[in-house]
Amino acid sequence: MLAYSLRRLLISVPIFIASTFVVFLMAALSGNPLNRLLAISPPPPPQTIEAERVRLHLDQPIFERYWNWLTGLFRGDFGPSTESTMDIGNEVMSRYMVTLRLVLLAMLLALILAIIAGVVSAVKQYSGVDYTFTFIGFLFLAMPTFWFAILLKEAGISFNNAVGEQVLFTIGDSSVYVAGGAWDKVLDTAGHMILPTISLALLSFAAWSRFQRAAMLEVLNSDYVRLARAKGLRRGQVMRKHALRTALIPLTTVTALDLGSIISGAVVTETVFQWQGAGTFLLEAIEKDDVYSIMAWLVISATVIIVLNLVADLLYGVLDPRIRYA
Amino acid sequence: MLRSKSGAARAAALVAGAALVLSACSGGDGGGDGDGAQTGQIFAECDANPNECNSAPADQLQDGGEVTMALEKDIANWNLNSSEGNVFETGMALKGVLPSTFSSNPDLKFAMNEDVLESAEQVSTNPQTIEYKIKQEAVWSDGTPISAEDFIYIWKTQNGKDCPDCAVATTAGYDQVRSVEGSDNGKTVTVTYEKPFTDWQQLWESGQPIYPAHIAKQHGDLNTPAGLKSAFDWFGANMPTFSGGPYKIENFQKNRSLTLVPNERWWGEKPKLDRVIFRIITDAAQEPTALQNNEVQIIYPQPQVDLVNQVRNIPNVSSYVGLGLTWEHFDFNLDTPALKDKALRQALFTAVDRQALIDGTVGQFTDKVEPLNSNNFMPQQEGYEDVISETGQGTGDIEKAKQILTDAGYQQQGDRLMAPNGQPVPELSIRYTTGNQIRQDSSELFAQAAKQLGVTVNVSPTDDLGGTLESGEYDIMLFAWVASPYPFANAVQNWTTGQGNNFGNYSNPDVDRLLNEAAAATDRQDALAKVNEANRIMAKDAYVLPLYQKPTFIAAYDNLANVRNNSTLDGPVYNIGQWGIRQG
Repeated sequence: MLAYSLRRLLISVPIFIASTFVVFLMAALSGNPLNRLLAISPPPPPQTIEAERVRLHLDQPIFERYWNWLTGLFRGDFGPSTESTMDIGNEVMSRYMVTLRLVLLAMLLALILAIIAGVVSAVKQYSGVDYTFTFIGFLFLAMPTFWFAILLKEAGISFNNAVGEQVLFTIGDSSVYVAGGAWDKVLDTAGHMILPTISLALLSFAAWSRFQRAAMLEVLNSDYVRLARAKGLRRGQVMRKHALRTALIPLTTVTALDLGSIISGAVVTETVFQWQGAGTFLLEAIEKDDVYSIMAWLVISATVIIVLNLVADLLYGVLDPRIRYA
Repeated sequence: MLRSKSGAARAAALVAGAALVLSACSGGDGGGDGDGAQTGQIFAECDANPNECNSAPADQLQDGGEVTMALEKDIANWNLNSSEGNVFETGMALKGVLPSTFSSNPDLKFAMNEDVLESAEQVSTNPQTIEYKIKQEAVWSDGTPISAEDFIYIWKTQNGKDCPDCAVATTAGYDQVRSVEGSDNGKTVTVTYEKPFTDWQQLWESGQPIYPAHIAKQHGDLNTPAGLKSAFDWFGANMPTFSGGPYKIENFQKNRSLTLVPNERWWGEKPKLDRVIFRIITDAAQEPTALQNNEVQIIYPQPQVDLVNQVRNIPNVSSYVGLGLTWEHFDFNLDTPALKDKALRQALFTAVDRQALIDGTVGQFTDKVEPLNSNNFMPQQEGYEDVISETGQGTGDIEKAKQILTDAGYQQQGDRLMAPNGQPVPELSIRYTTGNQIRQDSSELFAQAAKQLGVTVNVSPTDDLGGTLESGEYDIMLFAWVASPYPFANAVQNWTTGQGNNFGNYSNPDVDRLLNEAAAATDRQDALAKVNEANRIMAKDAYVLPLYQKPTFIAAYDNLANVRNNSTLDGPVYNIGQWGIRQG
């Protein structure tokens, strides 16, 4: 398995170089980071603009810039941002942590709900419950995130008005100041987490519950489950130990694969709820033609996705003893 | 402003809330009980009395309290005098912290900061000499007096000579100063100019405020270029822990918030609030819900139809549309061969109907906006004169436009316009900023007007406004300038031959002469007259057609006093030290 992992990672290297090169070219050639300066009225003195050009390496040929950036990566240097005071490495990491906090909780919630809904739907196939979950699943699949998130915010405000207290919040991950003790802080954080978590979770839940239902149905119809029932095991025991366990395998890999894209795709939720995470980091970088910040985001995201893909494949082998890597 | 409740009750409410949201998504009616009418009236007087509206005497205000305002950008650089730190939002955040000589009031006029200065006067015209008297009691928050040293330090970094590597936002004016000298224990500052600078009030004003020299000294030798640069950069990278204003910074959380608390060493009237928080909300569309949910109490976003209507439905909140210093305009690129002919330019501008353009765009949420008739001043500003109406431009008078063309020897052949040399007038392109719907609509209107004259104008966006202007890859461009309360240096930059902001390469020796004289005058009235004279010549040359003043928008809870609109670069925070919460 170790050899397999290493080989997989080695194959990633040329993919990584090719993709970063293409994106670097596109990012560097599509805009001029000095635009903000040039558009100021009255314009800054020429020496200011020249100094900025040199600081951002815009005086170097594009291939040289790419090479310097690539070699800089190995020294942990992500290059200069258009914001001279910003350390891109620190910034992108801290923004990723914000996103992770948002995403992991939502994933957990989505997984629990998806498993419950999927299993119940499969066991009670074609019942009223199954149809209800199916309807809900497709409803959320079809719902645009930004619209759903805005609806949630409106619902949150209605709720606050109904109870006459500010319980749910629509902006950020916590209040700047919270009066009271630790318990109040916990409540404040919870009040901030609820809406964005629901917004993100229900969308993943929709897809995953369908996966779980399909996997569960397949297992329930298999011979060994029938055998287990035939030899007299109780229904609950069969469901838990034999059926559910096996039916979790596809969901595990799907989750691992999805995680990468969910992290990079949380941008809508981040924007609507103003969590300054990785997604908004990328948007800001694109707006400012901040080439090195765009690249930093790409490097981290690409790494996360490559690693998660590997993890998904390895997990498959762990969960299903029939699969062996050589 | 935060409401409180016992922990257990809130916990119960949270669980209930989650259940409600999960099960129902019952919202959608806007959440409030508002009936659609504007509930708040605190800005009712602001049209008539922009500088005093929504005021309340100190004894009617609560002692203490907390106010949160939305701030649309994170703060990346704390040095407002640097090109990078010269960001509107950073300026708002530091308005209550950094001292300055002059600042701009809601009526768009500048005024001396009476908290900081006793007086600021021109004591001689040859050479031009300005004397500032700093208040004796004015001190930085560590007790060091605010003095001539601070003025000298800023001048050195900004004059382009003592610190050529300081990446300053502007050298305008500072580069014409011969000397800055202190006397009377540093409380009198005498500034002598090499050549007169009409906008002398612009130096050390609130957009380029004063930073403490004694702290700069700790980070570089202020007598060497390298030392000056190192201190200059230090101020950019480090949050100010010092203050020379009513507030000081208590806490900054990157990408989240900036918190101000009263500065104990402030010598003026004490601020009433315990805390002013700037909450960073980078997407304006999220501000109305945050306001409605009382997470912020003041917002100052760019107005859009939906946003304005959403805010007008929030109970207990007042809002106000103001007219600012930003103005939209159509520019011709005079390097385009067809546009070298004045008659064609005049005809095209005459065919544009500005009133229809306003009605179709910003007129949807306010009836305040009117066609702007000057390239240098807003109607509220000293010196404004209508120089456009007499030219007939911007009226949409197609017949008149055609007459101009006929008189100049153009001929209409079918639906095409033929130039006097017999060749058809080539197709032109008008550019606007990608994603700006209002500008797109305006550009389409321009193209329709030109079509009626037989000129085909293609509308295409640019995602790189600065680059497109710089490279001249346009025939007509729609964009905006920010007018300044200090107009003279700006006019030279924008309209005289070969200057950095004169992207369309307009050149008229009379305009050059008049504007340069105006910028180097000691008599302000005389200078204003010269700018208008130059503007008349320029209007006849049909180079830039002013469209309208862009509206600004503020919304605040009704219980806030002394909060009011200020559409200048100072923003509504210009009087942040006076903000308070009404009693009861």
